[in-house]
Amino acid sequence: MTNSNANALGIIFPNSYDSLVPELVAERLMASIPFAGRYRMVDFILSSMVNSGIDNVSLVVRKNYHSLMDHLGAGREWDLTRKNGGLNIVPPFAQKTVKIYNGRVEALASIIDFLKSQKEKYVVMADTNMAVNFDFGALIDAHVASGADVTIAYSQEELPKSFIESKDMNGDLYYTLGIEDGRVNEIYVNPKWDGQQNFSMNIYITSRELLIDQIYTAFVRGYTYFERDILMPQLGKLNVQGFKYDGYVARITDMKSYFDENMRLLDEENLDALFSSNPIYTKIRDDNPTRYIGAARAKNVMTSDGCVIEGEVENSILFRGVKVGKGAKVKNCVLMQDTVVEAGASVEYVISDKRVTITAEKEVRGTDTFPVYIAKHQVV
Amino acid sequence: MAKEMIAMLLAGGQGSRLYALTQKLAKPAVPFGGKYRIIDFPLSNCVNSGIDTVGILTQYQPLVLNEYIGNGQPWDLDRLYGGVHVLPPYQQASGSDWYKGTANAIYQNISFIERYNPQYVIILSGDQICKQDYSDFLRFHKEKNAEFSVAVMEVPWEEASRFGLMVADENDKITEFQEKPKNPKSNLASMGIYIFNWDILKKYLVEDEADPNSENDFGNNIIPNLLRDQRRMYAYHFSGYWKDVGTISSLWEANMEVLDPEHSGINLFDENWKIYSRNSGMTGHRIGADAVVENSMITDGCRISGEVKHSILFAGVKVEKGAVVEDAVVMGGTTIKAGAVVKHCIIAEDVEIGENAVVGAMPTDNEKGVATVGSGVFVGDNAKIGPKAMVYNNVKEGGEIND
Repeated sequence: MTNSNANALGIIFPNSYDSLVPELVAERLMASIPFAGRYRMVDFILSSMVNSGIDNVSLVVRKNYHSLMDHLGAGREWDLTRKNGGLNIVPPFAQKTVKIYNGRVEALASIIDFLKSQKEKYVVMADTNMAVNFDFGALIDAHVASGADVTIAYSQEELPKSFIESKDMNGDLYYTLGIEDGRVNEIYVNPKWDGQQNFSMNIYITSRELLIDQIYTAFVRGYTYFERDILMPQLGKLNVQGFKYDGYVARITDMKSYFDENMRLLDEENLDALFSSNPIYTKIRDDNPTRYIGAARAKNVMTSDGCVIEGEVENSILFRGVKVGKGAKVKNCVLMQDTVVEAGASVEYVISDKRVTITAEKEVRGTDTFPVYIAKHQVV
Repeated sequence: MAKEMIAMLLAGGQGSRLYALTQKLAKPAVPFGGKYRIIDFPLSNCVNSGIDTVGILTQYQPLVLNEYIGNGQPWDLDRLYGGVHVLPPYQQASGSDWYKGTANAIYQNISFIERYNPQYVIILSGDQICKQDYSDFLRFHKEKNAEFSVAVMEVPWEEASRFGLMVADENDKITEFQEKPKNPKSNLASMGIYIFNWDILKKYLVEDEADPNSENDFGNNIIPNLLRDQRRMYAYHFSGYWKDVGTISSLWEANMEVLDPEHSGINLFDENWKIYSRNSGMTGHRIGADAVVENSMITDGCRISGEVKHSILFAGVKVEKGAVVEDAVVMGGTTIKAGAVVKHCIIAEDVEIGENAVVGAMPTDNEKGVATVGSGVFVGDNAKIGPKAMVYNNVKEGGEIND
């Protein structure tokens, strides 16, 4: 193959589903939530795009995006520092008449001139609330082969409990699909059904030209949601196909699922399922290797570089630069980067955000069903 | 625009005493300390000292090193003007030559240095583990109004005769140079790190090249010539951690010292003097439910199900159930299979140690040594590799190797 580039550009919506984890996004957005020891949520979809030859990627940010800009920089770690295409972070272009966008229609309308000026035939769109090692190449191939107008990736799984139980999704909608012979004939908004569903991954591919047309039409009518306002009314007219994804999906739907999805990676089968097909890139921190000193004990843990472990750690995920002091005990925890558990302290079922300190001899205990969350920079 | 000081890093050495480890790569590319290669130390020192132009002189097995250095980005040495440049010997109109000696390697790259028109050139060596602030060295050089300065370490008198020694007066002015003398007059060992005024260096390189009897070596030729001409030569005292890792045992020892920074003095955890390296990009390491890890350094991508004690594991090492790793340096991508016992040894990259195989042994009064297994070697199940062995070919199932 002489040309490894896909004929598609990528658009990522880094603020989608922010409302599901208000604590974690207090000072960031969904895309920059730390996950799996050394990554941020955006790394998965962004690396997937790059690994599929998509090297023109725009992130249409809405708010709280400092952490994301800091993480992505010029996109070098993702090989997206390019003269043509590359990484493009699009902040809100606030004018008197334009507010911060709501929904994908307004987001896409805000970059419509950019879309018009690009050359790629197709556009792929995705959110960042899922950690997946997604093969966009297969999606593009399926889309081209079927001759569809739009193809939606979905997984077959049960809806998250928190979705079924929630009365109000704060404007963050989710969708399931009715599919017949591969064609999507129904899109359901926020259903509350039990059992296996065709759960939309909100990953779409369509042609750039069609997208521009549809966005124009929808925007002037004041529409907000791509799925509800553009696709649903036109399912008879547009050929919308489903693309079933069987790979590993870690979906963040609330604080509990954030905890569980981190923990699930302690199983090496899951770890391999998420990471082995293609590399996931992330910002380099140049940490030294992790040290286990003296009476340190570690059982069933995933630890990233830069940690210093002098105490006991069990069933936990340690992000980069975590310190566990002498005699400290860490059990069933997700400790984000640079968390310090001082000597003699004990934590169980705790999610500590970046740079949290648990001072000496303190005890913090959550439960299996309700892990305690400690916010960024807090000192306990 | 002229650069105040640029660095020339001598990385052409074969490192023949590291034999099994340097079959396929040059000594500076040998992995060290869990996620580094030896060359990361001088390169990081340069960047941390504010030197942004580095020429790396390569000659022996340069492929791994070239790929590793790439555009220099991991060390922040991808610069518009300057940056890192790998300099192999090249063909010129007058013919081509391998680098005949350390001085000749620099001589052949005079035109490279002149592109930057530096006032000073620092000559570094690519086989030392050391964190050193070269800007402080330059401050000393300027303060003394020196034409040539050499970094020296005080070594124990009884070991002094193993080194090139500088005899200096109370103002640090060098009066004599002794290369591995029987009767040392000084215990100031040269670290092989020099700062020259560029005009002086150039003059002596040209003269040296014209001398048919010269070995074109800094220690044997250039420095004696400077002394002969009574140039302003000074010895800069360095007192931090410094280790020449030219032998298997010194390389093993230096790695073990990394495990004990509180006592050994080599601290890789210094936020103010980071050592940069090219990253493996793997996930965090996994320690299984039945694994034991004690006093060790473990990096990304490792999967530990067995026992690891007082060892350094590089990226992506697998230690299967029931395997025991102790006092060992295990480099990237290597797998220690179930039941294997690996002790007091260095195992290079991408090796497979078969089930229940034994590599090395803890030292006893009768027998001690650091067993070494070269990169890519396959050691069969139940094979036994003695503590003095140096292995660079596959070992078949049940095979036994003792040297």
